[in-house]
Amino acid sequence: MSKRDRVAAIGVGYSTTGRRTGLTRRQLVAQAAKKAMEDCGISADQIDGVVLHAGVAGAEPPGLDFIDALDVAQMLGIMPISFYNSDQGGPAYIHAAISAIAAIQSGQAHTVLTVRVINQRLSSAQERDSVQGPMRIGGDSQFTMPFGSVTPIQTISALPAQRHMERYGTTEEQFGAHVISQRANAALNDDALMRDPLTMDDYLNSRFVSKPVRLLDCDYPVDSASAIIFTTEERAGDFAKKPVFVESAALSATDILPAGFEKVVDLNHNSPYHASELMWSRTDLKPADVDCAQLYDGFTIIVFQWLEALGFCGEGEAGSFVESGATRLGGSLPVNTDGGACNVGRRHGANFCIESVRQLRGNESGERQVKDAEVAVWANATGPFSGAVLMTKD
Amino acid sequence: MTNAASIDIPESATAADYPPIPEPNALTEFFWEGVANHKLLILRCGACGKYIHYPRPICPNCLSMDDLAPEEVSGRGTIYSHTTTVQPFHPYYVDKVPYNLIIVALEEDEEVRITSNLIDYPNDDIRIGMPVQVTFEEVAPGLTLPLFKLA
Repeated sequence: MSKRDRVAAIGVGYSTTGRRTGLTRRQLVAQAAKKAMEDCGISADQIDGVVLHAGVAGAEPPGLDFIDALDVAQMLGIMPISFYNSDQGGPAYIHAAISAIAAIQSGQAHTVLTVRVINQRLSSAQERDSVQGPMRIGGDSQFTMPFGSVTPIQTISALPAQRHMERYGTTEEQFGAHVISQRANAALNDDALMRDPLTMDDYLNSRFVSKPVRLLDCDYPVDSASAIIFTTEERAGDFAKKPVFVESAALSATDILPAGFEKVVDLNHNSPYHASELMWSRTDLKPADVDCAQLYDGFTIIVFQWLEALGFCGEGEAGSFVESGATRLGGSLPVNTDGGACNVGRRHGANFCIESVRQLRGNESGERQVKDAEVAVWANATGPFSGAVLMTKD
Repeated sequence: MTNAASIDIPESATAADYPPIPEPNALTEFFWEGVANHKLLILRCGACGKYIHYPRPICPNCLSMDDLAPEEVSGRGTIYSHTTTVQPFHPYYVDKVPYNLIIVALEEDEEVRITSNLIDYPNDDIRIGMPVQVTFEEVAPGLTLPLFKLA
């Protein structure tokens, strides 16, 4: 594709973010979308597409309002629109981003507002205690839940992490090194919720949820909305902020959900490898060209899977790569420079797109700015489905 | 024959008395009938030989629909991965944590992965690659599940 035909990210924004904010989806989305529109000075009539990816990631809190992309377009005065998508499933924000990118590349829309809104789930104890009487379970889960496989912490995180440890010699301290490193980045980010520095003792003393996964390995459930506006390269120069370009993007699915996490052919070598292979096949850039990586950290093991899948280290080598300090600010490949979803709150990938944009703009990241950042990659989801996007400054 | 589909649960039973109970349908009832009879049955394609788990109405390898039939397997396999869950996410597990969860790669086809529990063995000593053998245990009144022991 010629450079002129690229898609660009032009505006980004977050809603109020926190625990049990009491805000409805409409309120969260309106806040984030308005921030993104103000960020680049775009007006509603310059947008002709809306993608909303809404979710809870667990048991729904009471009183949740359900909205779709049309609700978003209508309340923001964006109608009429020529492209819309309201996906509730799939691999979260990456799905929204790639949907928008594909719509712009195909000409179905020229400028698309994408939003990921997440409402904090009921707590695990609230969900557990709300179970009334014996539960009967159909579908594929009838083969997993009766044995106590009842949370993604086991299937997405503990089972692959345990296999990574036994197969490659990965250690708890190596998982901890990543957790400590991204918390240090969060300390430099005003948008982060968790900003106190962590020590290895703090990590090792963090309680187990399902071994080897500790509480500090899990992202932080919050109410949040995140918005990013994409447009054509031709229009990208018309707005207030310097555009950041999509160099290549790829979406992948290799198996099914939800029970598929147990039976994907390889728990650690899966759709992130497929997505990475596709992403690299669509660009002349190489892993060595990347200045910072924003890798989905729903659980720590997923960051390790992406480091390997994207080719930043060999398969099974993420533990020693992280332990070497390479992924810290100032290292050869700073990772999760905003602090990651463990610290900025659960946004299912959208924070990593926003952080990539801010790093590549070059003047919005303060002390956590990666010097001379020109290329960033961000990735989202894992296991049976995932995706990755490579972005450039110029 | 006892069928998990029709197990009678005492009216007084609470969520703490049973793990999530399998609710078979037309595609899966053979599996649970097999379990009730202490047999591990996996759907297999008679046309190309592929094992198909979880059960599907069509073979993903050769698209055969008419030649699919349950076949008894050895029940032997190896542990593919495991975890010991410490936090109880369902009422049944409140007094059972920590408990282990294992994934078994079946001897007949290691891509057939079965989620289960390893019994009669310390959680902290479980390792990937350990050989295991299916055993059928009544975990709650009327509910039999395929669990595993070290082979």
